[in-house]
Amino acid sequence: MSSITRREFIKLSSVAGAATAFAAACASAPEAPPEQAPVAEPSEKEPKEPVRMALLMDNSLCVNCQSCRLACQNENNLPVSEKYIRFDYVDSGSFPSVRHHVNRHSCQHCSTAPCVDICPVDALYKGEEGFTHMEFETCIGCGACLSVCPFEVPVISQEPESGAPKMYKCNACKHLIVDGGVPACATTCITNAVDYGPWDEMLKKAEDRVAVLRQQYRDATVYGETQQDGLGLILVLRTPPEDYPHLV
Amino acid sequence: MGMDRRTFFKRTAGVAIAAGAIGALDMKAWAQTVKDAPVDKRPSLCNMCTSECGMHIHVKNGRPWKVTGHPDHPVSNGKLCPRAHAGLHWIYDPARVKTPLKRVGEWEFEEISWEQATDEIAEKMREIIDEHGTEAVFGAQYPRATGNVYLPRLMHALGVSTVQTHEATCQAGRRIAMSETMGAAFDADWANSDYLLFIGRNMGEAVRTGTATAFAKAVERGAKVVCVDPRLSQSAAITEWVPIKPGTDLALLLAISNVLVTENLFDRNYISNHTNGFVPFRRHIAEYTPEWAEEITEIPAAKIREIAQDLAAAAPHCAVDTGWKAAVGSCYANSTDTARAVAYVNGLLGNIGQRGGISVPPGVILGTPQFATPDTPDAPRNDGAGTDFPLASPASGLPHVTMERAQEGRVKAGFIRHFNPVRSFPNYDHMRAGMQALDLLVVCETHMSETAIEAHYILPEPSFAEREEVVNAVGPTVAMRTKTIEKVHPDTKSFDEIATLLAEKLGVGEYFAFTLDDWNEALLAEQPITLAELKQSGTLAAEVSDEPVLPAGCGTLVPPAEQAPKTKPRAFLASTGGDLEPVPQLFTRSGRFEFYSREFEQAGFDPIASWYEPKTGLELAANEFRVVHGKQAYHSHAATNNIKILAQITKDYDSNRVWMNASRAAELGVGENDTIRVRARNGRTAEARVKVTERIHPDMLFAPAGYGNRTPYYEVSKELGGFNPHDIAEYQKEPISGHTMMSELIVEVEPA
Repeated sequence: MSSITRREFIKLSSVAGAATAFAAACASAPEAPPEQAPVAEPSEKEPKEPVRMALLMDNSLCVNCQSCRLACQNENNLPVSEKYIRFDYVDSGSFPSVRHHVNRHSCQHCSTAPCVDICPVDALYKGEEGFTHMEFETCIGCGACLSVCPFEVPVISQEPESGAPKMYKCNACKHLIVDGGVPACATTCITNAVDYGPWDEMLKKAEDRVAVLRQQYRDATVYGETQQDGLGLILVLRTPPEDYPHLV
Repeated sequence: MGMDRRTFFKRTAGVAIAAGAIGALDMKAWAQTVKDAPVDKRPSLCNMCTSECGMHIHVKNGRPWKVTGHPDHPVSNGKLCPRAHAGLHWIYDPARVKTPLKRVGEWEFEEISWEQATDEIAEKMREIIDEHGTEAVFGAQYPRATGNVYLPRLMHALGVSTVQTHEATCQAGRRIAMSETMGAAFDADWANSDYLLFIGRNMGEAVRTGTATAFAKAVERGAKVVCVDPRLSQSAAITEWVPIKPGTDLALLLAISNVLVTENLFDRNYISNHTNGFVPFRRHIAEYTPEWAEEITEIPAAKIREIAQDLAAAAPHCAVDTGWKAAVGSCYANSTDTARAVAYVNGLLGNIGQRGGISVPPGVILGTPQFATPDTPDAPRNDGAGTDFPLASPASGLPHVTMERAQEGRVKAGFIRHFNPVRSFPNYDHMRAGMQALDLLVVCETHMSETAIEAHYILPEPSFAEREEVVNAVGPTVAMRTKTIEKVHPDTKSFDEIATLLAEKLGVGEYFAFTLDDWNEALLAEQPITLAELKQSGTLAAEVSDEPVLPAGCGTLVPPAEQAPKTKPRAFLASTGGDLEPVPQLFTRSGRFEFYSREFEQAGFDPIASWYEPKTGLELAANEFRVVHGKQAYHSHAATNNIKILAQITKDYDSNRVWMNASRAAELGVGENDTIRVRARNGRTAEARVKVTERIHPDMLFAPAGYGNRTPYYEVSKELGGFNPHDIAEYQKEPISGHTMMSELIVEVEPA
């Protein structure tokens, strides 16, 4: 299966600059660059048991600096106005007894992912590590995924170079993780609020953190163990999920 | 070597730039080019703020793709803040200065050659010095490694003694206060502390990458972290927030000292053996009870006692962070003494040099290049540093005072490098009028900043990614900026080249008879590291001195002679391991911690910091607010508004509005997103859009810093707009350090 990410798609389409070349680049046609072969053939590597992985977002350490967003935009070569990582804010109380909470709003990478089921062109699929990836060139920007996403994540927007409508969402830096790398958001996080590792380890780390937080925040909770049969983006929250506009 | 997916992406990406040359449809040739072009991960230092984080710039076909933190650099530790990622866009900013420019009208320029520019500058500079003397000239910069070598050298070679930095808008008060009490403005050992008290400092949004990481580490470890701030900042949000009435931090710190002393919670051994002046301090502090401070700060007396007692319980593995700008640097008339009071609490806790206390880390001492060096001139300064402001550091000077003297006709020429005082100092009109009064203003810059566009000549520099610089000692490492890509604008010259060229034209070339490589090799002479190795790696572990090293940082140029220790320290202890013997010798004149400062006394100030109000007082009328500004993590002062990818964050979160307390807003009939008109007591007015929030003290309007560029060359900034307090603030001079008192700004508010 050829899976071309947003980053790769842009390179191809911007080089070609013409619809014909665009088509040639997108299809596995003879004209396509030979470098695409390794992309389509992970069999070059030693076969190994796939390990379910997770991103962990500890919102109790986040200072909302936006470094993850920027690193992600560069890593995935997004247009300036598109971002895979957004934030929700919740304030409670009144001066001087005020609390301010943040939560990362990006693809939760559902195990049971309605977007994958509904996509009419099969652009969305689950990867071996458990994340929800997308073939950027296949996406027709129809918005069906948006209509079923429990977390209101997908954004439909015109791809600047081609003008075609496309869906934008976190791809878990697929091109990095297939080689054992770490998604850009986790690498750059200046407060170590973002981590990446085996799903079980990340869940354990989240539970340990919540146990500590509960001394101060009695409603602190891990979000992602059971929702949608388990999420690839696990959240540590200081307050109940229903406080946040995009959590269910 | 096989090509992995990551490499593939980098390679395909890079070719997009060269597409025109390849031919749009020739995919096979394109693919071959892709295959042949390597992806290099080249080491450098970021330049998007003061911190100069070590990083790798990933370059493909001569074009940077992304940046990652240099894992060995002690400031980045493999991580990077948002501005570093946006640095790639900065390199290609349309507002870059591309060739030498000569002024032909207001904010209008013509392109000229380097030959013409340097000839004309040299001729005018000589005329001005001949007619008015070297006292009529100043040099000013944002002080960084290359500038710190070349700008003072050029000025001193000409006989000019006034060399300045931005510090009067930064940590001027703190630096003097800390120097006179505990010897230097050392950082706290955040990551290893059990109790941290921050006074106005916002570690998560005024970001130095490694500092934010250490701060979060303390939070994650379960250390008690308390942020005293009139505003619930992002840092306060992940810690315990103690709101305070703005401008009253000094009262809080004196009351904490009072509790530590009256409840016998101080470190007797440290006080007896390592401090001076405790007896008069003890008498002095008696009146500053928590009940007294509650009236001023609005922090309950019980909370003040709790903070003091918790600090004492954690001592010596605890610290009152020494701050940076905020309450202790250049905001209030009482900021310098607020910084002294921060030091007092640390002195009482005996935490200097202890794990989790005030960090006195080992450092690297670089070699001393032996090239011909001009004498330090004895010409009088034109900014009053050291005379009118006897304690003000001559290492950083007072650019706003120089602008006053320029308006009086006493200063005629300025030479500014990588520094934007017209936008970054209050007041904009004052600074601009000073620049306009000059007969010659030369600005070396990468961008058409508010200061550059007032120049007679703008000399263009390559961006951080395109140039090499002088080697830095950073913690236990040495690091340097390397050239990672070819010049984007070929007619730019790096500052070492510009200074050398001008020196030759000005007849002082003998002081520049070395190359940048020569200088760097001399710096590394004592280290087991070659320059070639350092260029290869960007950051390398170095041999650490067993003698103390003054902390580098914001505004540090050359430590003033009076800050040097009078006696050589007997030993030097790092802040590692368990409880340590106290640092035996501080950088103060006596080598001991000074509760009582003879230097302050001789200069006519309180030898021990006493309480006094901000200059603008604490009483506000029904429609008045104090304007306080502060950073967001994704902008650096006024330098980054024009970067689209950062401006987009501001747009997405509508984050350049001023914050107003919800109750005050309701009283005034101001709603969310409403525009207000603000009028300063000096009559100047401006408009601002409002974010109504519970997260701020009722007295305060919070202005996110750095918005409101005035240069017409910043197109993206124009889309953002925003309120900049410096437009309406007073030109002011705090008496002790001469700083700019940036939060001594009271405005009347009415709905627009």
